[in-house]
Amino acid sequence: MEEELLNIKNNAMALLMEAESLPEVNQIYIQFLGKNGNLTKELKNLKKVPEQKRPEVGKLANEIKLTLENIINDKKNDLKQGKNDERAKKMDITRPGVKQELGSLHLVTQAIREISQIFESIGFERVRYPEVEWDWYAFEALNFPENHPARDAWETFFIDVKADAKMGPMILTPHTSSGQVREMLSSAKSRPAGHKTSIRMLNLAKCYRRQSDVSHTEMFHQFEGLVVDEDITIGHLKGVLEYFVKSYFGQNRTSRIRPYQFQFTEPSFEVDISCGICNGKGCKLCKEGWVELGGAGMVHPNVLRAGKIDPGKYTGFAFGWGVERVLMMKEGLSLPDLRLIYSNRIEFLKQF
Amino acid sequence: MNIQILDSWLREHIKTAAKPNEIAKVLSLSSVSVERLEKTGEDYLYDIEVTTNRVDLMSVVGIAREASAALTQNGFKTEFIEKTKGPLKTGPNELLNIEIDKNLVNRVTAAILDVKVDKSPNKIVYRLEKSGIRALNNLIDVTNYIMRELGHPAHVFDYDRLGKKIVIRESFQGETITTLDNKTHILKGGDIIATDGNGRIIDLLGIMGLENSVVTNNTKRIVLFFDNNNPKKIRRTSLGLGIRTEAAILNEKNVDPELITPTIQRGIELYERYATGKLVGNIVDIYPNKPLVVTVKARKKRISQIIGVEIDDKTIIQILEKLSFKVRVKKEILEVTIPSFRAQDITIEEDIIEEVARIYGYDKIPNFLPPITGKSPLNLQDSDFYWENRIKDSMKYWGFSEVYTYSMVSEDLFEGPNETAVKILNPLSEDHVYMRSTLVPSLLEVARNNYFEPIKLFEIANVYIKRSNNLPNEKLRLAGVIKKENKALFFEAKGVVESLFEDLGITSFEFKKRSGGGTGADVFIGDRQAGNIELLEENIVNFELEFDRIIEMATTRKVFTPIPQYPPIIEDIRIEQQEVTEYQKIVNLIASISPIIVNVKLIDEYDNKKTFRITYQDKNRSLSNEDVIPIRGKLIENLKSKLHARVG
Repeated sequence: MEEELLNIKNNAMALLMEAESLPEVNQIYIQFLGKNGNLTKELKNLKKVPEQKRPEVGKLANEIKLTLENIINDKKNDLKQGKNDERAKKMDITRPGVKQELGSLHLVTQAIREISQIFESIGFERVRYPEVEWDWYAFEALNFPENHPARDAWETFFIDVKADAKMGPMILTPHTSSGQVREMLSSAKSRPAGHKTSIRMLNLAKCYRRQSDVSHTEMFHQFEGLVVDEDITIGHLKGVLEYFVKSYFGQNRTSRIRPYQFQFTEPSFEVDISCGICNGKGCKLCKEGWVELGGAGMVHPNVLRAGKIDPGKYTGFAFGWGVERVLMMKEGLSLPDLRLIYSNRIEFLKQF
Repeated sequence: MNIQILDSWLREHIKTAAKPNEIAKVLSLSSVSVERLEKTGEDYLYDIEVTTNRVDLMSVVGIAREASAALTQNGFKTEFIEKTKGPLKTGPNELLNIEIDKNLVNRVTAAILDVKVDKSPNKIVYRLEKSGIRALNNLIDVTNYIMRELGHPAHVFDYDRLGKKIVIRESFQGETITTLDNKTHILKGGDIIATDGNGRIIDLLGIMGLENSVVTNNTKRIVLFFDNNNPKKIRRTSLGLGIRTEAAILNEKNVDPELITPTIQRGIELYERYATGKLVGNIVDIYPNKPLVVTVKARKKRISQIIGVEIDDKTIIQILEKLSFKVRVKKEILEVTIPSFRAQDITIEEDIIEEVARIYGYDKIPNFLPPITGKSPLNLQDSDFYWENRIKDSMKYWGFSEVYTYSMVSEDLFEGPNETAVKILNPLSEDHVYMRSTLVPSLLEVARNNYFEPIKLFEIANVYIKRSNNLPNEKLRLAGVIKKENKALFFEAKGVVESLFEDLGITSFEFKKRSGGGTGADVFIGDRQAGNIELLEENIVNFELEFDRIIEMATTRKVFTPIPQYPPIIEDIRIEQQEVTEYQKIVNLIASISPIIVNVKLIDEYDNKKTFRITYQDKNRSLSNEDVIPIRGKLIENLKSKLHARVG
């Protein structure tokens, strides 16, 4: 019997040596170790071996069985590995992948999100106010004199309806500042009795002006910050704008405020940021190292009064800047013409 | 408005150790912006932007005064050199009889001089030309020079072309004039003009001289003439006639009439020096409207309250006095007397605070973030910004490109009767006349203008619904367009809407045949219409949804449904109908047969044959084939009897 077992082993080993594919190996497995395999059958003959020899033969049989199983497994693994190697060799991984369908968000949306996130992180809350607005909110309540050029039909769009006795003509709002007095009035309404005024508004919206050229579009976006509270100072305004400038434009940019003039703020400031192209050294594209970001100022007492807020008790600041403008000022974008933003060419939209 | 001045000219009026670049920086930070500093030979040229409220800074002296205050505060010892020659000696002059209307002019001052016309010396020519003013001859150059140096516009007449009498009055409609640049203008009436004794118009006051009275190469005797006018009338005439001289730009902004005194004194001095000028008779000065002397009170506490730092009294007083304010301290209050050249600009306490703060230096004020107080709790569920962001992200990752189209559309693109439109009275172009009432036409236009296919676009923006006696109702909408060759394009759009609702947790919605005709569906959320889908052409489909309706039903609530413990039994049933029934009816019928039918899905369709995959599942136990047999039987029977279908 031992001899028979060793023969089986040798036969199997010889066949396995020559096997070159998985089906062949599987065939060998069935031939020797399967239900009716040679070795399986032989093991059934173990009962016929005389009792005193049985443990020895049994041990041998088991060893042969284990050896064959191991060799078959190893052989299978080798062959699988070979197949993997071959697949790896064949595959051209430089061919394009199967992409998931990907659209795009408009540049303006991306800018709005960044801006909102920056201001929300320091306690501002976004609001929405009308785009089609009364002259009263856009100008009158903001301390604009009656004959101010912004109020005439050259600069502002008027709606073809009769002017309201109290609110004046209906217009397309030329700036997000029209939300200032609306916010003051609505904050008074929504505030629980006995609570002090505390406004942290971010009004980010569409605005309209009668101007269209390389740096203007009839429709554009502004973001307006308004803070009203007890003890709000110029230092707070500077803190907020420095936070914004560094967050939006980068840590290496700096800001400054300098005197300017607006109807609805006093004092008024122009906000500059260091030029991103020359790093503040002065170049053709900036003014002695600085570029203008937009206006800001301490809320004029007449505006607080229009918003039913006591200027003796509260102070505040406001700023209003162009979304497209800060976008254009961001490093690296280099748009030659602002109107491209609203061209809605797919080749443009898909770039961002 | 911008002013260009030379450093050497400025230094005739201040004594300072500061270098030009230091002066430029300090001015920009505390006063007016020096937009450019340019080296020119041995000299420097400042190009300065002056805000419209600071017409007093449109002069070398004005800038010098500001610079002395700002430089001193910034550690550069600086003195402003005051060159006053005392009060003006005036009296009647029999050679000049001026009649005025005090509603038109605040002050008129004139001097007669015998002169010799000549070229101006190089220094004058150089300074003027660097200031952007063309030099002509000594008689005209002096008027421009003193305007630039001191800030009040001046004019010079040829006395011999005038006669003794000058009458200032309003023009009548239709009167014509020829300005000194030889252009003829027809007046609209209400312009401030001067006539001579014969009623001939000889000047358009405050704006430009006239050809018939201007000096020539033969001029021997001149009138150096100053007029300080009603600024509103000057602006109206200047804009109306399109004559935007520097004189007009200054005069329409309330130039200080007090400035005439030093300016005429300086003018006479320069004529004496450069044109052998000799005064003839008295200087005539008619001054009906003197500026009021105004005092503004500022509380010390308020000053530091707004600026955010405590500034000591001495510094505050020094700053204000350097700017020519007079200050009296009365305990906690400063009484500040405003100089005449700031009378229009400084009227309230905040104005005083601005003066102190800017000269003190905004850069010296430390930065703080305002405390977060009174903030209402974050409420994502009700925040349309939150849902807007989520929806935009979904659309992007479903392959849509976001566009921003104009809120204003042309008459062609406006949908609905014109009288329901919010219409712009003064549009810039015919493309942008009406405020849109739907986003779809704008998106379709973008789709058409892009030649690519497939193209998938979306926008979230307002539409404007007219209301009587009120602002229009501004309603946010979500709209999308798909342009693509696809026989089932409608279902692609419908699928987007369904996926959107699923993502937002909106479960109660329905698609109904369009009530308004056309191929497509009305979309209902709950029992209210929320929008529609429209198959416009074989390859273009669009949808538009009311944003407020979506977010009303969208939810951030998360509800857990137990995951089924027991395996389902899944089988396919094929039915064939002579007359095809709506998909939804078949599904509803199948689903109604038994609660253990948990899912019905159309997996194949061919002519009038449909194959549905049905999932049976019980959450409490394992189903066996025996459980399903009676249900299947009932199902087949129902399909046959109610839908006349062949099952098999």
